[in-house]
Amino acid sequence: MKLVASGVQESLSGLDDNARFRTVVMPHIDEAYRLARWLTGNRTDAEDVVQDASLRAFRAIREFASGSPRSWLLSIVRNTAYSWLRKNRPATIFTVEDLEAVELENAKPGEPNDETPEAALIAKADAEQLRAAIAALPAPFRETLVLRDIEGLDYREIAEATEVPIGTVMSRLARARRRLIATIQKDR
Amino acid sequence: MSRSKSDDNSVLLVHAYLDGELDPANALGITHQMAETPALATEAERVKALQQAIHEQLPREAAPAGLHARIETSVGGLKRDRARSSWRALAASIALTAMVTSGSTWLVIGSQQQPTIVADALVSDHIRALMAPEPVDVVSSDRHTVKPWFNGRIPSSPRVVDLGKEDFPLVGGRIDVVGQTPVSTLVYRRAKHLISLTAVPAESQHELDRSPRSVNGYNVVHWVENGVSYWAISDLEAKELENFVQLFRTSQTVL
Repeated sequence: MKLVASGVQESLSGLDDNARFRTVVMPHIDEAYRLARWLTGNRTDAEDVVQDASLRAFRAIREFASGSPRSWLLSIVRNTAYSWLRKNRPATIFTVEDLEAVELENAKPGEPNDETPEAALIAKADAEQLRAAIAALPAPFRETLVLRDIEGLDYREIAEATEVPIGTVMSRLARARRRLIATIQKDR
Repeated sequence: MSRSKSDDNSVLLVHAYLDGELDPANALGITHQMAETPALATEAERVKALQQAIHEQLPREAAPAGLHARIETSVGGLKRDRARSSWRALAASIALTAMVTSGSTWLVIGSQQQPTIVADALVSDHIRALMAPEPVDVVSSDRHTVKPWFNGRIPSSPRVVDLGKEDFPLVGGRIDVVGQTPVSTLVYRRAKHLISLTAVPAESQHELDRSPRSVNGYNVVHWVENGVSYWAISDLEAKELENFVQLFRTSQTVL
């Protein structure tokens, strides 16, 4: 990843804004769209968010200097999605409560998991079940899980995209997965 | 049952281990711990099962077809030549996503196996070409310029015919990408309408003749001839596009 990233930066020098945009942003529109979809909950809103985020990215394209272009764009998408939700879906203002929930979760020692199902049962969860369970996660858990288990970002990229330390990524990810597993069990 | 802080850390390390995030020393340490601690081994099994279920059940959806183009438009002033590579990547990603999602080993393009995917990707290329300042990489109405241009860029240069007398002048050519394969596209013009004609090496010698159909509002004619799979795409009326195809097929090959 490092090599790829530095390759991108080298190739950026001497490019105008449009060319930078095409190098840094355009290859990651699909990922941007999927993250926006998970955060907003539907396709139309996701498209609006990605368009808006792209414009922000274009205006800020000179600020992209180091790290992964994908993480950089996803962090813009994420921030755009949250401000978009605050503005257009005030009923779903969640970030504050979510963050508190996450803080509580983080402070708690690991809960006993006696009721978690066996692996074979988890592996059989269907798409609807998984989608609903992921959608029900608090946003900070959801974005971390989506970036890792659906998009395949590594921890460093997730830390950059969600603007938290790697340790936070690790604990959010573990707790997000445990919640999903517990939800799958409850559904049975 | 209560857990200590170090148990919690071990749990995080199990997750990090499964994500391939641990260096060899830590990875070795946690595999030893998993072997000795059933709870950690169970955690690992469950997480693996969850990842497997997510991977199988929630395929990654590509952005809607027009989104890339709308973004490029809204950002504005993007030039065709520079923008090309990302468009190719998009065309490739559409086809690739479809391949991965279907789980089949669809490697040969242009065959009748997945014509929809190829048509969709090529229609996207056509739309982007229309929105660009130049719909072609090489601008020339001279077939002797266009055909050699493809040499060295793709394995086999396409058949190029002159239909200027029939009021289908040649505009030029460009490289599109289907799946991960670069393919040749010739661009012809009829009045104000452009026609993208893409040639793809066909999988079999099996000849095929399809009547026009509509993809995203564009007419698409697909046929296979002499081991080459052709796709003609335009906003021309279906009848006129068929006429073009007929002329192209019956004209003398040059060079």
